[in-house]
Amino acid sequence: MSTPQWVRALKPGSPQGSELLEQERSNSNVNVDALSHFLFTKEGIARKQRVLKVLQSEKVFDKSQNYFAGRIDRFETALARAKKLRQLAVRNGWTQDDRLTANELISEPGPYGLHESMFLITLRDQGNAEQHEKFLRPAEEYKYIGCYAQTELGHGSNVRGLETTATWNADDKTFTIHSPTLTASKWWIGSLGRTANHAVVMAQLIVNGKSLGPHPFVIQIRDMKTHEPLENIHVGDIGPKFGYNTMDNGFLLFNNFKVPHISMLARFSSVDPKTNKYSRPSSPSLIYGTLTWVRSTIVMQAGGVLARGVTIATRYCAVRRQFQDRDAPEWEKGENQVLNYTTVQIRLLPLLATTFALHFTGKGMMALYAASQKKMSQDVGKVGAPERGPGPEETHSGSDLLADLHATSCGLKSLASYTAVEGLEVCRRACGGHGYSSFSGIGPWYADYLPTATWEGDNYMLTQQVARYLLKSARSVLKGNEATNDTTAILSNFLSRQDTGAAFDILGNDSELVAAFAWRAAFLTFEALKHRDEQKKPWNSLLVDFYRLSRAHSQYMVVKNFYETLQASPDSSDGLDPETLGLMHKLFRLYALHTLEAEASEFYTSSAVTVRQIQLARTNAVMKLLEELRPHAVRLVDSWGFPDWQLDSSLGRYDGKVYEDMFHRASELNPLNRVTVDPYPDSPTLFKKNEASALKSKL
Amino acid sequence: MPDFTDNLKPASPGGPEILAEERRQSDVPVGELAQHLFPHHDFLGRQQRILHVLGQDPLFSKAKQMNLSRPERYQLGLARAKMLRRLADQHGWDAEDQSMSQYLCDDVSPYMVHYTMFPTTVREQGDEKQRAYWMPKIQAGEVVGCYAQTELGHGSNVRGLECQARWDPKTQEFELHSPTLTASKWWNGTLGRTANHAIVVAQLLLPKSPGSTEYANHGPHPFIVQIRDMKTHKPLTGIAVGDIGPKYGYAPMDNGYMLFDHFRIPHSAMLSNYSRVDPNTCTYSRPANPAVVYGSLTAVRASIIMHARLVMARAVTIAVRYTSIRRQFQDRDNNDKSAPELSVLDYPTVQIRILPLLATAFALHYTGAAMQALYANTRAQIDKGDFSKLAVLHAQSSGLKSLCTELAANSIETCRRAMGGHGFGGGSGFIQLNNDYLSKPTVEGDNWMITQQTASYLIKRMSSAVANKGKSQDEVEQTCRDWLSNEHNSNISPLSIFDSDEQLVQAFHRRSRDLTYRAYVEREVKKRSWNSLLIQLRKVSHAESQSILVTNFHIALNDSKSSPSPALKGHLQTLFRLFAYYTMDAEARDFVKANAVSDEDLDMLPGKIQELMAQIRPHAVKLVDSWMIPDFLLDSALGRSDGKVYEDLFHRAHRLNPLNEITFNPYYKSDEIVMGQGSDELKKIMAKL
Repeated sequence: MSTPQWVRALKPGSPQGSELLEQERSNSNVNVDALSHFLFTKEGIARKQRVLKVLQSEKVFDKSQNYFAGRIDRFETALARAKKLRQLAVRNGWTQDDRLTANELISEPGPYGLHESMFLITLRDQGNAEQHEKFLRPAEEYKYIGCYAQTELGHGSNVRGLETTATWNADDKTFTIHSPTLTASKWWIGSLGRTANHAVVMAQLIVNGKSLGPHPFVIQIRDMKTHEPLENIHVGDIGPKFGYNTMDNGFLLFNNFKVPHISMLARFSSVDPKTNKYSRPSSPSLIYGTLTWVRSTIVMQAGGVLARGVTIATRYCAVRRQFQDRDAPEWEKGENQVLNYTTVQIRLLPLLATTFALHFTGKGMMALYAASQKKMSQDVGKVGAPERGPGPEETHSGSDLLADLHATSCGLKSLASYTAVEGLEVCRRACGGHGYSSFSGIGPWYADYLPTATWEGDNYMLTQQVARYLLKSARSVLKGNEATNDTTAILSNFLSRQDTGAAFDILGNDSELVAAFAWRAAFLTFEALKHRDEQKKPWNSLLVDFYRLSRAHSQYMVVKNFYETLQASPDSSDGLDPETLGLMHKLFRLYALHTLEAEASEFYTSSAVTVRQIQLARTNAVMKLLEELRPHAVRLVDSWGFPDWQLDSSLGRYDGKVYEDMFHRASELNPLNRVTVDPYPDSPTLFKKNEASALKSKL
Repeated sequence: MPDFTDNLKPASPGGPEILAEERRQSDVPVGELAQHLFPHHDFLGRQQRILHVLGQDPLFSKAKQMNLSRPERYQLGLARAKMLRRLADQHGWDAEDQSMSQYLCDDVSPYMVHYTMFPTTVREQGDEKQRAYWMPKIQAGEVVGCYAQTELGHGSNVRGLECQARWDPKTQEFELHSPTLTASKWWNGTLGRTANHAIVVAQLLLPKSPGSTEYANHGPHPFIVQIRDMKTHKPLTGIAVGDIGPKYGYAPMDNGYMLFDHFRIPHSAMLSNYSRVDPNTCTYSRPANPAVVYGSLTAVRASIIMHARLVMARAVTIAVRYTSIRRQFQDRDNNDKSAPELSVLDYPTVQIRILPLLATAFALHYTGAAMQALYANTRAQIDKGDFSKLAVLHAQSSGLKSLCTELAANSIETCRRAMGGHGFGGGSGFIQLNNDYLSKPTVEGDNWMITQQTASYLIKRMSSAVANKGKSQDEVEQTCRDWLSNEHNSNISPLSIFDSDEQLVQAFHRRSRDLTYRAYVEREVKKRSWNSLLIQLRKVSHAESQSILVTNFHIALNDSKSSPSPALKGHLQTLFRLFAYYTMDAEARDFVKANAVSDEDLDMLPGKIQELMAQIRPHAVKLVDSWMIPDFLLDSALGRSDGKVYEDLFHRAHRLNPLNEITFNPYYKSDEIVMGQGSDELKKIMAKL
């Protein structure tokens, strides 16, 4: 179907989107480049531009058909892309950061995803020298392509419940890997379904009839030539999902499958082939370290993930106009920009503030992680050295920075991914009807990001860990132990002022605003402690309280990190000019006050603030901040620096050509329009002209 | 192909045993509750009968549809739509049967608008002659139609539409024209590939006098227009029309775009029941009473709420069954380390997400039913030209549509996430439900926008109540007056919400009036700008809707006509309180400010909610069973009524997954994608890009 000339000649009704965005940008003096540098550093921005250029020159990365294709086509294309990406990385000598940037720009999960992350990391961290030689080296050359198979059909977060067994055979020095039930099937494992020829498999180790808990094994699962599954291994893809359909999440079952002694990753625990004796893990804390790092990146990513939605929605709401202002004077005839509606501002601007809050929090956590790693290596000589003893959760809760970070990272991961997921849907809905189109770019992105809310620990389950840690810290403080980290410090402070009370000047003083969040978290901690230790309430009945407690503590951490980042800005080399910094302070206040208002009852019950203050926060302070930030909204999202190629969105285009692009995609790129239909119910013909292959065979 | 996996069983206890035990230990009378929920039009019998027909035809199997591309999904949708129509002819299905078959098929039909908005508009807006001409052709399926109102640049604000219909007195024709790109019709269902006719809503432009070149705009009006050739199905010259591309959901629907290039249509194309153009004098006569339009809109909204409750019930059915079966971690307070893992539904953190939604499904049910009854009862008055009752109902329906669709849309996602990882999988039964239902909060009026209608109405009534002249105009105004004289008083004592359900209902009412009054003061006394009040207005609307939901729930339980047995009534009362307390807890501050509830009582709410959830927990499975959602409709491994969760998940992955029929070449140095096919596959992929 060719587009007629009279259609090509049409322009959108005035004013044009490009004019509107231009006007938005000229109304604000935010220094976009400086703010970008502050967020990502100059090197980070240069890298993004360099990698983007390479990707755009390769046709296989063309995104124009992504939204139309079926599952199999999408997977095939994703595999072709993964191969090309690896070829490019080798050819151009890309660093780890380059590769991560490329993945971010492509923005779809790829079939090598788990090979490049968990498989290599596990081999490196948990393998000994001999295993590095045998497994890690071919894996780094992509001869072995692997995945990490832990979760099972019937078992997720609770690793101890796994059913797959690895039984030591003393007679022939092998392990038998076996799946005794259907629920023992490995499930959800990324890169396993069609791609991997090896897997790290977590299985219950059994030696001499004794069950010793889950351990990792490296196992070849497919033939190196034909890529068919080995005998007595049953493996495949688990089928289509809400999103992530370019990834072959897989299932895997073993039927008494024998593997050699070297398969068990033996850096920390091993079975002696001569004596058949098992020696214990020496340092589980190393694993906590990796997990903590992973969670910090999830927090930081959450800022960027949300920023994509906010960028699209903000630009589109600046272009989209609807209804006249009821109170507008006669001469202002045109429809009002949707972004001028306070009901739109109250949804988008606090989310805009949240993107920065999460970004700075993730950054802060990573800095803290690096510092604690450095400190540990000074303290003990070597990370994860055996003499370091039990993991952080077993040590004194108040004495270890990493323990503090590990526990709080659970809560932050939960809060950040939850906030990003919810926020994206808010952005999508703020785009009105067009938000439902795939061309909005938000829906498909949301679908791919969703599992983050349930993986690396279900968000609700994780909050128990934070609560457990906070209770422990509170007990330690009550005993009179000295405060050794931030958590114990805020708890001690609360205890010392508990009876004098607190009247935080949340509307006049930013540091008091942070203190109010600390106060509320401390209050809830001691309340929960009362329920548990004095009233002896069952753990299970307190889970909802724990969830709230964790949330309160995490929100405190976010507010604190945001505040401290801004305080440090004038001293940093990438520091912001005073005007932009002033705006960032407003965003800080908007995030904090908007959150405070949403959780008003907890702030009020803890006596951190008065009802009057909450009312003023809502009716005056927040509304005023919305008004002050509104003119800068477009430039603030610009500073996130998403290339249009990455956003892949009609609504979020930098140049505001929203309608031209929507129309172009619908009319020119849409394969359904190459089909002519027979619409009459009594005729069995469906397509009069049909380029698609026969449907019947696919059903 | 048989393999070793055929003999594997899930670990014990199996899902079927667990569900059997759940059902054994609860006294909920499932049959009675099902009858209570679906008393009209033999809903359950009809469901059975139609299900039997659809179940036999492989065309309605959902096994592989998630793997299909967009063009394939449309093709499948069209095939199903045709088949349903032929089955209707064959079995002599009536209208209710047909809508049941749509509901069970659970895939949007490309004929949908042809069955709904298109004929409704012709019937309501067409004059007698137009109806006589078009309706038989529409019913025969010769004319396949759609409804084209929304444009690329214009949604809820109909006055902003750009498409024009200009009357040419010389040729006695209208000229349809799209002056800009943003004037393109957009989002219109059934238009993209299927329809050969369309109702086009366009700005009516008439010459100021027969000879004049000056035109006056009379606002948007509906025209019925042929858009494609009846033989070739190609677009007529002067029309550009097509499908707008993939969406978040609604894959089988060809939502379309359409542009006109000075396209001429006859005088008879303008639907003329209410407004018409005299072809000779070019004079325009106005609609007699625009309120008539509200009538059908209100009926549509009542049915949206009734649909929302079924959607919620469906999400909760899956969630309750799976979280009963799924076990994770042992109870920390249990010293017996060999004790089985806890059922996930025993965790209060899971209960708090799912059980209030179960209660909400019931709340929506009673209000939807009440609205339908009220609409039916006021029909007689409407026909006589008395619209006073309808005005109240219409104003309330905007807010209710907004709140209820939002509750339902969010409930799907909340339930999906409560499933843990499996909620993300295709076997959850939540994927397409979520994808398709998420359009609801933004269609038929954006949820944030339409709350203004309810709030604006309430503020007007409050203004009249304050002025206090003559008799109250309607019951809402009367309640405002009552509130002003009895409850608008800072010394009034809070209500005893835990002692009396009547007082609990009253608390919602008092809070809603309090918010109405505050909004009235801001707007009418302090003259704050409308735009600065939008957020507050939404609260006003939601508070009123919540008050309506609680009131109708309470009335239904104490209605002598449908009186449930004592056993059932007890359970329903628990659900009622759970809904009311849970809603109240989320909005606690409002209730304090309105002097409706004391601080002490609010502090006790979370504990009370947890107690109620503990009471409902043992009956959860039977309570969802009562909604009688068939497995065919659920299409969910997790929510199967027989509990065979893991067998089904595995079956879908292993046997029903076309990706597993292909062996890929995973090595990056080779451009081969599919094993043994060389680089052909890559060429095919590149050709599509």
